[in-house]
Amino acid sequence: MEDLARYLCDLAKRRGAEFADVRVVRRTGESVLVQDGRADKLAASTDRGVGVRVLVGACWGFASADSLERRRGEQCVDDALALAKASEAFVSDPAMIAEPTTVEAEDRSDPQVPPGAMPVAEKIARLLEYERCGQAAADGDGRFVNSVVSYAEAWREGVLANTAGTLVRSAGSRAVATCLFVATDGKILQRGTEHRGIVGGAELLRQTEPEAFSGRAATKALAALKAKPAPAGRFTVIFHPSITGLLVHEALGHNAEADAVWAGQSILEGRLGDELAAPSVSIYDDSTLPGMFGSFAYDSEGTPAQRRPIIENGRLVGFLHSLETAAKFGARPTGSARAQSYDCRPIVRMSNTFMAPGPDGVGVPLARMLRGVDRGVYLEDGHWGYVFVQKGQFICHAGQAHMVENGTLGEPLRDVSISSMTLDVLANIDAVGDDFEMKMPGMCGKGGQSAPTDCGGPHVRVTDVVVGGQNAV
Amino acid sequence: MSGADQQSYLDLATQCVEKAVRLGAEWCDVVTGTGRDIAVTIEKSGIKTADAGQGESLAIRCYVGGGMGYATVSGRDRHDIDEAVQQAVALAKEATPDPNFRCLPSPQPRPEVEGLFDDTVAGLGVEQVVAIAVANIEAGKAMEPDVNLSGHVGLSVGSGALASSTGIALASRATDISADISALLKRDGDTGYFYDFDFGRHLADCQLERVAESAVEGARRFLGAKRIESRRMTLVLGPLASYGFLAQLVAAANAESIQRGRSYLCEKIGKPIASAHLTVVDDGLVPRGIHSGAHDGEGTRRQPLTVIEEGRLVSLLHNSYTAGKAGVGSTGHGTHACGISPTNLRPALGERPAAEILREVQDGIYLESGEIRPDPASGDISASIDFGFLVKDGHLVHPVENAMLGGSIFDLLERLDAVSSDAREEPGILMPTLRIQDVQIAGAE
Repeated sequence: MEDLARYLCDLAKRRGAEFADVRVVRRTGESVLVQDGRADKLAASTDRGVGVRVLVGACWGFASADSLERRRGEQCVDDALALAKASEAFVSDPAMIAEPTTVEAEDRSDPQVPPGAMPVAEKIARLLEYERCGQAAADGDGRFVNSVVSYAEAWREGVLANTAGTLVRSAGSRAVATCLFVATDGKILQRGTEHRGIVGGAELLRQTEPEAFSGRAATKALAALKAKPAPAGRFTVIFHPSITGLLVHEALGHNAEADAVWAGQSILEGRLGDELAAPSVSIYDDSTLPGMFGSFAYDSEGTPAQRRPIIENGRLVGFLHSLETAAKFGARPTGSARAQSYDCRPIVRMSNTFMAPGPDGVGVPLARMLRGVDRGVYLEDGHWGYVFVQKGQFICHAGQAHMVENGTLGEPLRDVSISSMTLDVLANIDAVGDDFEMKMPGMCGKGGQSAPTDCGGPHVRVTDVVVGGQNAV
Repeated sequence: MSGADQQSYLDLATQCVEKAVRLGAEWCDVVTGTGRDIAVTIEKSGIKTADAGQGESLAIRCYVGGGMGYATVSGRDRHDIDEAVQQAVALAKEATPDPNFRCLPSPQPRPEVEGLFDDTVAGLGVEQVVAIAVANIEAGKAMEPDVNLSGHVGLSVGSGALASSTGIALASRATDISADISALLKRDGDTGYFYDFDFGRHLADCQLERVAESAVEGARRFLGAKRIESRRMTLVLGPLASYGFLAQLVAAANAESIQRGRSYLCEKIGKPIASAHLTVVDDGLVPRGIHSGAHDGEGTRRQPLTVIEEGRLVSLLHNSYTAGKAGVGSTGHGTHACGISPTNLRPALGERPAAEILREVQDGIYLESGEIRPDPASGDISASIDFGFLVKDGHLVHPVENAMLGGSIFDLLERLDAVSSDAREEPGILMPTLRIQDVQIAGAE
């Protein structure tokens, strides 16, 4: 892999590329799905290939092939050069890159349980144990009609080389476990889900205790049977850390990706240095956190991982950069360029994005946060969200919620979404908690690519948020 | 791809099936093929990059005692492929036996579906794809010189084969080409943003160079958004919004989800789920349709299927597994990875045009585009009005900012009181306008 990557870089340079990088990747994966008491779907995958990106004049070209054969790699070089040249005359914003820091490095993170070391039968047995634990939560009011518990692991080896002399050899794995329980009281159906994800392998199954995983998901489904639909309108809301995570990822993080900012597609364009939130609000993206699902040591361009401040003490202080956006902004690359695999170009992505807990003496305990609300909504169990960065409008979906009345948690509400404008919600944060949780491993989609990310933060309180409920207040 | 190439994929698939059976698979099928694609990215109203990819893939599915093992591999390395065959068989033996598994599909007469492959699209090079992108940029900038255009123009050409232990041996090929363009206008602190797209299997079925014009026109209309107060209003779903809404509904008629008891459509078969205005046909045989094909991912012949008839849920989408479990025939909606997927949706059209339906709305929201995603189990909806307008006395007044809609999918379907007689048509797909009365809207005002 290493020889092929170096050879193709040299070839691209000889054939006219001003800059080129080559990613060679081999991936294997295995997944197990247990459903309704059975090992229902067992799967394996193997994938390998090479991707070549070239900069010619003012334009990028990229070509990939699902082979490690030298002739297929050579064809990629020629195709990428031809693609760049075909487009060059129509470029309005010339491509450029920051001078890469030349790195020769080994980025290897061996899981405690290597791929294949845990027999499939043991994985099945563990998933069945999770399922039994969840099923045991059934009570007199609710029963389960369906449960799906799954585990997947993927091992990835890769080499990145570029014409500046960088060579990063990487190897590592990620593992995810998910469970879904569907409960009914005979009238309605409700779901409860839980997700776990790590940089690692099947040790995830040994670390994940049934009660805190499937037991929790099952309990959520049962609780939702007793919950009412949320009210509709504008409320003061308190976000559980999982919703805070969705907020910082969707509402702010995507807007802070410098490719969107440079392209004029982000509402943060021209706002660097502005005070956007209260001084108690600080938000970071950090790919150096050990074991977290969004972590990595080098990005897909070979820039070392780092902690990237986005908002510090309420002020917008930085964006997430690739080599290209760093050059265009005159900034330092932040190690935020990630490619899903060999067949994708690196684009600017988040990693682990979070709001820091309120500083000592400023962070507000949840109980005190609640006391300041006469009538509002407490949102928890973050599920999903999306954003239109161009207008800064986002949505976050919560699996569970509660009314807040006279400073205390009131009746339970079932799944509900909230929507707001990014700049409004930042400005309307009036309390930042003194706690912290980051347990939202997931795959973030952008530009047709998926990247493993995590997000979290403390509890926060925000005024004037639109709640998409079913009934008038 | 030549006939000889197609035969080579068919031979490979057949060899893998035979090997899997020798290793102990009781049932087995294999899909394999090749694809290539070109994608040109537009950013800041110029060309950003041109990408190309080419690849081959193989997927094998094996059953032992009804337990299923599945393996995929990219490339055509024979060692990798042999390993995938062994993995699939080994995993099938590890899976729990499933008495509900009956059989994989058998060979069936294959319908002819015209127009899935276009030699013109297959023959396009990057220069022509760039030219389409440039035509969009020029057209958009001619309308608004400072417009910020972004998006993609791309094509894909694919060919493949499916073989099974039941004797299925099918080869097919397809093309598609598409453009999606977003337009962003900024005026004195105000932002107008919208998008449009076009796609088809044949170049002649598309007007790819016109997409930016439509996106810019949309961006102009979305300038001047305002907030509204919460209240119950009439909701009109324009063609893009109605397509997403109905696609979610038909996808929920997935027999696997219903047999497993996890869908809001459980126990609804044969019963009214919507007003009598709604009839939806899923038709995977539409000539040149974007989701058309002679057979599904398991080799079952496709067929037109009325899913909702005058408001009543009359059919579920089946693959071979769910059909066997229910003791019915597969409807031809199986994917090779054991999933179930709708094809081309064709709602029955109403009697009055969209403009007339809209004119009757006193106080409403016109949702031009937006994701209305019901909870898969409860059917509860809590959605953002991504691209909507306030409607007063039959007219669009202004775009709406930061508003949401909520309710139960069944409440919305019951209050559906009009389907337009005109519709946006894309290859295989019909997208009419729908009107729903008395929907809870949450506003930021």
